[in-house]
Amino acid sequence: MTDAGFVIAAYAVILGGLGLYTLLLWRRLRAAPGNDDEAR
Amino acid sequence: MKTRILGFVALVTVVVVTVIGLFVVPPDANQGDAQRVMYPHVASAWLAYLSFGVTALCGIAWLWKRDLRFDAVALAGAEIGVIFTAFAIWGGMMWGRPIWGVFWQWEDPRLTTTALLLALYVGYLLFRRLTDDPERRATRAAVLGIVAAIDIPIVHFSVEWWRGLHQTATIAAPDRVLDPAAPMAFVGTLLGFVGAFTLTWLYLMIRRYQLARAEADREEAARVERIVSARTVEAAR
Amino acid sequence: MTELRAEARIALAIAHKDAIAELRGRHAMVSTLFFAAVVLLLFGFALGPDAARLAAAAPGLLWLAIVFAGILAVNRLHLLETDDDAFEQLALYPVARRAIYAGKALGGFAVMLLLGAVVLGAVGILFAVDIGSAWGPLLATVVLGAIGIAAVGTFYAGLTVRLRAREVMLPLLMLPVLAPLLLGAVKATAAALAGDPFGELGAWLQLLVAFDVIMVVAGAATYGYLLED
Repeated sequence: MTDAGFVIAAYAVILGGLGLYTLLLWRRLRAAPGNDDEAR
Repeated sequence: MKTRILGFVALVTVVVVTVIGLFVVPPDANQGDAQRVMYPHVASAWLAYLSFGVTALCGIAWLWKRDLRFDAVALAGAEIGVIFTAFAIWGGMMWGRPIWGVFWQWEDPRLTTTALLLALYVGYLLFRRLTDDPERRATRAAVLGIVAAIDIPIVHFSVEWWRGLHQTATIAAPDRVLDPAAPMAFVGTLLGFVGAFTLTWLYLMIRRYQLARAEADREEAARVERIVSARTVEAAR
Repeated sequence: MTELRAEARIALAIAHKDAIAELRGRHAMVSTLFFAAVVLLLFGFALGPDAARLAAAAPGLLWLAIVFAGILAVNRLHLLETDDDAFEQLALYPVARRAIYAGKALGGFAVMLLLGAVVLGAVGILFAVDIGSAWGPLLATVVLGAIGIAAVGTFYAGLTVRLRAREVMLPLLMLPVLAPLLLGAVKATAAALAGDPFGELGAWLQLLVAFDVIMVVAGAATYGYLLED
């Protein structure tokens, strides 16, 4: 794998991982009853 | 609403710094394009340490004030910390392979310390799941988090000694990005990543905290439910 | 000052109680020692038969065996408490928490010291290492390592004493924390056996001392919270 490949792999996993985790949190928050902290 | 704005701003800044890191900032004279991995790698490591610091401090706060909201923040910090730690290790490996020729280097104090950090806090998260009573869980977790945080500097120093006494200065250090003599473009990009990731971190912490509180409320409601139904059965007799 | 002496007496009493129970009871020390011996044998099978390679690996194998057997020993010391809910009763005594911690850690230290000495001897025999030549620094390393493992082990055993899945949680939590101790002990052992060619023995022993001090203080300070449930 060229250097570029490692760079892509690094960025893809890190940014993709952040995105996935965010989505996961959104789904779990929707499933749980809403709370008033949201208003702040 | 404010959280949503924060999330949007975080997203925008992440996109911007990613473009800069991948395409705008020039490659390093020695390390070439592989150096670009350093930006998200270092930023992730910084946030991992920040997260675990938050967990330890909130543990102390719980032991002192006995407010379960501190425990919720501690949990958020540990979970998000584990994620950023995993990113930091992954980044370290993706940088290491082109530069060192291997994915892992035992004498790099940051990499080894970060691996142990991962082990400590995965243990923390697993440990939390084994206690059901919220207050007991918060106390045990707080104590665990404090001792884990104390261990980190010890690990770091011991690995540095390990490397130092071996005198293999030929190992390229990832530190180069933090070198004060580094060109402004590198430093600027790194700071940009740290800023963008910190905003993201803040957003995730708030959301994870909200989730923890929502789940705590649900647990509490279920417990009250059980007590009430038990009492109803009692009264009916 | 008399308060300190009273605490010390309590700590010794607890350590004494654990020692008697250990000697008398079903929870015998022998099984732990035997486990360590089996571990060493397996290391021999895994890394042998080249004597030179085993001798070079001996410091690491020594401390791995001590740490693994140590986890069993520490686990057992607190098992004594879960039988008959002795742990809860211990918590009811109006006594400084750190005295209880000191007592249990002292008992753990005694066990670890014995374990370390025996395993050291076994390693000398099995892996053809001359422990007699450096017995002073080797003994110091074993003592410091025993203190560290006892301090950390007592804390984590107290943390996991009434948990489901305790058997796997205790090592899972303890081992990462012990990494610096393992590193320091192995390096010190290797330096001692080689005659300390680079003069690094002192540095590694210092690391062990620092680790021990920090962990004992942290354990004593937080043990009270573990008893409060």
